[in-house]
Amino acid sequence: MKAIQWETKLETALQRAKAEKKPVLLDFFNPG
Amino acid sequence: MDAVTYPEEKVIDFIVGQTIPLRVSSADALADQFNVQWTPTLAVLDSEGKEHSRTVGYLGPAEIAPILLLGIARAYFNREENEQALVVYNKLIAEYPASDQIPEAIFFYGVVMYKHTHEPKYLRAAYDRLTAEHPGHEWTKRAYPYRLIGV
Repeated sequence: MKAIQWETKLETALQRAKAEKKPVLLDFFNPG
Repeated sequence: MDAVTYPEEKVIDFIVGQTIPLRVSSADALADQFNVQWTPTLAVLDSEGKEHSRTVGYLGPAEIAPILLLGIARAYFNREENEQALVVYNKLIAEYPASDQIPEAIFFYGVVMYKHTHEPKYLRAAYDRLTAEHPGHEWTKRAYPYRLIGV
């Protein structure tokens, strides 16, 4: 089943953002 | 969001295609760094980690893409990358005409066109369109001074 593959570390997301020339969508969720 | 919005195929395609998705617990130290007080909080960051837009509260499948497009366009706008900002505002206006975000997109499309060309007629055009299509809206009121610009 298709699903969003979320990054979990800011540093990794920023590295990808630079490489792929995209913004980062940062979602803060309630862990419950 | 997990039950309704994120499983939608269109939402998945949009988020994966347009952004680098990063998900962090509100208990994480990063939430303090970003001063997160409620969830869900969604922020659009540039590749340097600078925040350009933020939204708090549930977003349904129909509204998440337009709101994120506004955030992405704002990131370009803040960085004075006018051509990229215009592409994103145009995409939002063309592809999500029923969205609640359209008035803000029309307002900033006019602003960016003005900054890009130095022609005030684009501000007046934004006012005219907002008045015609979204009378009484907050962003129509914000464009009110532009009515004085001659065409």
